[in-house]
Amino acid sequence: MTPIVQCRGLTRTYGRKIALNQINLNLERGRIIGLLGPNGSGKTTLIKIMNGLLVPTAGEVLIGGISPGIETKYKISYLPERTYLHPGMRVEEMVRYFQDFYPDFRMDRAYDMLARLQIMPGERLKNLSKGTKEKVQLILVMSRDADLYILDEPIAGVDPASRDFILHTIVQNYRRNATILLSTHLIADVENILDEVVFIRYGSIILHAGTEQIRRNEGKSVDRFFREVFAC
Amino acid sequence: MLGKLMKYEWQATWKLLLPANLLIVVMTFFGCMAVRLNLGDIDNDGIVFGAVMILVTYVGSMFVVMIGTAIFLIYRFYTSTYGDQGYLLHTLPVDKHHIIIAKVLVSSGWVLFCSFLMYVSVVAIFMAEDGLIPEVIGSVGTVVETAGGAGSFLTGVMSVLAFVVSIVARVLKVTACVSLGQLSPNHKLLMSFAYYFGIYFLQQTLGSFYYAFLGLINRRLDQYYYGKTWEVTLIASLLYTVVFYAVTWYTMDKRLNLD
Repeated sequence: MTPIVQCRGLTRTYGRKIALNQINLNLERGRIIGLLGPNGSGKTTLIKIMNGLLVPTAGEVLIGGISPGIETKYKISYLPERTYLHPGMRVEEMVRYFQDFYPDFRMDRAYDMLARLQIMPGERLKNLSKGTKEKVQLILVMSRDADLYILDEPIAGVDPASRDFILHTIVQNYRRNATILLSTHLIADVENILDEVVFIRYGSIILHAGTEQIRRNEGKSVDRFFREVFAC
Repeated sequence: MLGKLMKYEWQATWKLLLPANLLIVVMTFFGCMAVRLNLGDIDNDGIVFGAVMILVTYVGSMFVVMIGTAIFLIYRFYTSTYGDQGYLLHTLPVDKHHIIIAKVLVSSGWVLFCSFLMYVSVVAIFMAEDGLIPEVIGSVGTVVETAGGAGSFLTGVMSVLAFVVSIVARVLKVTACVSLGQLSPNHKLLMSFAYYFGIYFLQQTLGSFYYAFLGLINRRLDQYYYGKTWEVTLIASLLYTVVFYAVTWYTMDKRLNLD
């Protein structure tokens, strides 16, 4: 079966700065994969190119065998690292918005998660705290039956208690043959749910391996290993 | 998907723009009342002062609504397309053509609605003042005569059509400039303004050359100008519409740069 993500010689520059440098990467289906690296390593740039929000300078990325476009947007459910919801809209209006545009959106799942988090559907987004807005976004994204979930720093801006809810939500709501690509630098929090990790530094992939393989070969946790690899 | 995009574009704009445009209706009502008072016949300074203030407020509100509508629509396009909300818009499974068409149609609709209300408002103010309407009709008649019988029904229809297309072209000029500005690595908004003024200057220069050329080949420039004005406006607006649409689509579809 075609890998869900294929990157071939993917390069992106900003002026003279190289953000991504000749990335070659295949991500298989049905895996939870951590995209790990320090700030400024190129994680978000790689994710934006996969989502068609940035154009690569060279090389290509294929999602399920095709270049980013309308078809790949049906396959990908994307959570950016910023709030992208219209502040004037109510939560229920955003739910309807997602249902209008994504045929794989499950409204019952969204309302179930909103109820569990005690988020009022009639509340306007501008009246919610930053953390609650992030939870609403995550609920919307995880209420889709997508082939690929790309989550950019989903736990960076929330308290530790909410992190557990978010990780639980992610694990409980994705389809078993779907792939989750989760970008973060808070590795200790996510390590237990990851099948694979991709280490990225200065725009280059320096490691792509299974988490069990790392623990077995290195004799330490992925978090400890990450700290050693990226020690300043 | 175009219908859905237009629905949400409408929902995001009507809550502010509809009340703002209704302000024109309200101010027109008060403006007409003030004009009907025949201020020259009133001795009470308080009433005269109040009526003058109403008329000043009427004129001021017209400018505020007109400029406010333009600024809001530009801000709305920028934030929803290239700001944070662009991360949602550009990950929707929709054609970029549909995104542009939805935004341009809704924005153009608001500008036309605002222009129509202002036109009706000015006519209403003139009608409120006895004797002004015949004068205005007389002035229009003079222009029509100068145009060499251009007062036909066809000319009227084509002039309205030219005006509508010119509004669409202006909206697309803004979308093209904002889109070009986001290609810049820094100061994207500033670069959008730079592109706007650059293109404006280019358009003015082209227009000047065109009329200078006409002046060389036609001694009755005034007659030619009035007689052909809707044709020139329509052709130029159609040309600009195509060019600005192509620029907007190309940058949005092939050179998107949300960083």
